[in-house]
Amino acid sequence: MDARERLNQLKEKFGPGIVRADLPCDSRLYVYVDPSVVKAVCRYVFRDLDARYVISIGADDRQFSGNFLVFHDFAFDKDKILCSIITHASPDNPRVDCISDIVPGASWAEREISDMFGVESVGHPYPKRLVLPDGWPDGLHPLRKDMDWNHVPKDYDENREFKFGETPAGCTVVPFGPFHPTLDEPSHFRLYVEGEVVRGCEYRGFMVHRGIEKLAETVLSYNDIPMMAERICGICGCVHSVAYVQAVEAGAAIKAPPRAEYMRSIMLEIERLHSHLLWVGLACHLVGFDTLFMQSWRIREPIMWMAEKITGNRKTYGLCLVGGVRWDITPEIRAELRVLLDKLEAEWQPVVAAVVKDKNIQKRTRDVGVADKVQCKDMGLVGPVARAAGVDIDCRRDHPYAAYDRVDFDVITHDTSDVWGRVVVRAKEVFESIKIIRQCLDKMEPGPLMLDIEGELPVGRIGISSVEAPRGESHHFVITGENNKPRRWRVRAPTYQNLQGVPGMIKDQMIADMTISLGSIDPCFSCTDRMETIDLKSGETKVWTQDELFRMVRARIN
Amino acid sequence: MDTNLLNMILGGLANVVVVLLVAPFFQGVLRKVTARIQSRQGPPLLQPYYDIFKLLGKEDIESGVSPVMQRFATYLSLATILAVGCLVPLGFKAPMNNAGDAILLIYLLTLSGICMLLAGLAAGSTYSLVGISREMMAMLTLEPLFAITIVIGALHTQSFRLDTVLSGAVYQTAGVPVSGLIMLGVMLLSFQAFVQRVPFDMSEAETEIMEGPLMEYSGPKLAMFKYAQMAKLIVFSGLFIGLFVPWGSELLFPFGWILFWVKVFILVLMVTVLAATHARYRIDQAIRYFAALLAVGFVALILASNGF
Repeated sequence: MDARERLNQLKEKFGPGIVRADLPCDSRLYVYVDPSVVKAVCRYVFRDLDARYVISIGADDRQFSGNFLVFHDFAFDKDKILCSIITHASPDNPRVDCISDIVPGASWAEREISDMFGVESVGHPYPKRLVLPDGWPDGLHPLRKDMDWNHVPKDYDENREFKFGETPAGCTVVPFGPFHPTLDEPSHFRLYVEGEVVRGCEYRGFMVHRGIEKLAETVLSYNDIPMMAERICGICGCVHSVAYVQAVEAGAAIKAPPRAEYMRSIMLEIERLHSHLLWVGLACHLVGFDTLFMQSWRIREPIMWMAEKITGNRKTYGLCLVGGVRWDITPEIRAELRVLLDKLEAEWQPVVAAVVKDKNIQKRTRDVGVADKVQCKDMGLVGPVARAAGVDIDCRRDHPYAAYDRVDFDVITHDTSDVWGRVVVRAKEVFESIKIIRQCLDKMEPGPLMLDIEGELPVGRIGISSVEAPRGESHHFVITGENNKPRRWRVRAPTYQNLQGVPGMIKDQMIADMTISLGSIDPCFSCTDRMETIDLKSGETKVWTQDELFRMVRARIN
Repeated sequence: MDTNLLNMILGGLANVVVVLLVAPFFQGVLRKVTARIQSRQGPPLLQPYYDIFKLLGKEDIESGVSPVMQRFATYLSLATILAVGCLVPLGFKAPMNNAGDAILLIYLLTLSGICMLLAGLAAGSTYSLVGISREMMAMLTLEPLFAITIVIGALHTQSFRLDTVLSGAVYQTAGVPVSGLIMLGVMLLSFQAFVQRVPFDMSEAETEIMEGPLMEYSGPKLAMFKYAQMAKLIVFSGLFIGLFVPWGSELLFPFGWILFWVKVFILVLMVTVLAATHARYRIDQAIRYFAALLAVGFVALILASNGF
């Protein structure tokens, strides 16, 4: 079914509730709906038409349409359509109907909209702050256009605490994070543990939000942003820069030259290779199997050298600009890359063979961190987590971008829904990536790397793009704007959805399985600026403020 | 003074010195071999000595709930292992033969586990507490195995004397030593757990509970624990060899002595390879495993008491 037929389905069902629609191409559908029916439309799209929930996005459009806008993005994976349901909220009393009760995975996104824009989701089941720090004054919303990017609120209240829920009866609190050897970045899980079994958990993250989106909308220009987008993640940075430029290109209706598209695919696959090898190593480390950890990192190292040879950097490639790429592959590097791929394949095969047969690893990963098809659907889980549950989605095939429509590869799925499935999926995807790079090298034709763009990009257009990161779908949303910069840029990394699935995965599991369950989504967190101590005797919780910590450090107490 | 008594004391002291001197070396071997298996260069063989010296030279920080108890547990853990070292034959006959018997040995082995509980309890952090609850569960199912082995040996030889039990008493039956061979299998399968290495290092699993009971320890106190753990590897190897592969120890010096350390070396290599090729078990999986071994151990005990 194509985008027009989907639109007709909606029109038939809701009639005048559908205000207008925009079909820039066969694979994109933007539907403006009346605020009174947005909940019903989302329910219909999500439950009856079985679309996958992607993300909800807020935007301050008061200067132009006079309203706040709220976008609910869905994906029709089988039809290869990305769809946005768009509604608005009045500037005086910004409220929209909550959809989290129908789409549980929308919970964070709606909390974020309420933090960043002050658009309240009426009827939200867990209306606590998500992004803003606890001391941030009420009524001040950073992504509104009338707040400056460098505004520092004067009435910041250091002593305000995040209110965690009640500890369930019979449980003790085990704080997991903000700093823990298995968390590569700070994040706080408050585990409610009965004996060795986790009964529930509460999450508090986002404590130091870097404000990247605000910066992009205020001080940076179109071609500055890819460089910053790349720094969103230390492992899959290239994914973000590609997703961003593709979103802008989609909005402006321009297309990068073919050779640039091949370059993007090659670098994305190189990134996936190193990321998957890194993850297999880390997962082994988490369950105490350090030998495989070391071996898979040894196998990974030449990939990093290759990336450095092509782009000048092991990690931050600096590859993309709007309309093309900056680096090319010389014939010498092409030959070298082929040799590297052969060697990698030869070395990885015995590792996979060993892992697949290893009873010991299976013992630690089977039936651990289970997220089945229903959980994947509800929470919008993506990537290897979904594929391990037998959900056959992969943006490279479903929403082709770069050169993926010209190469042939398999989408690896598994049916166990557990950590073991995620190990197998990632281990096997390495071979698919090798296959893709080889085909790209074969099919690449000489040609320009950059598109000549004349004049300004069109203003006020929506562009969305999904890129399959090693961890899952990375979704970028852009509204093009004036002064050579986007009006709104929203990044949804795969961890944003997958992390919301973690509480469901670890419930009623042993505490020893917590790390590998969390690790199995390959999480990326933000940073944090406080810590929590728990006095065991009284059970009293004290949150140290930044100020107190500074004083303690200076006085060298403890 | 009675020369016998003097010999005994000197012999015990010699054992302690030997354990202290060679334990870090074997740890170095373990680390080097692990590194080679993992395609790494690995630290120099003497690195564990440097580590101990470095830790001993650091500031002694008191950070737990009850510092006095923490200090006590620290020293007790090393002292217990060294006391066991006094009683175990390390290439010669057991030096303190008349000072204690096999029952004392069993007590001391249990005490070394209790030190860990004490250390964790005194530190009092959440992770320490999780760690000691794991340690306790493991101890309850694991410790009886050594006791059973020793009792089987005592049953066969009708003696609790150390030199009798620790020279292959488990095999000294009229016919085929069924119970002894069963226990050999059981102890081989659980040896890794006695020396607390992967896959049975749940009580201090770094990636789950951040070293568990040890997380509040640093500097000299951590050095003591590390030292105790290294010594444990040697002392338990000595015990294992005394119980199950004593042959050749009665050879003339230096042959018997060299043979003994070769056997220790082989045991350490075995531990290393096992640790490097396995993932850590979860505590419930480990306990189920230990319980099965314990059941087998009891069967062996019943067989032994009927003369097999």
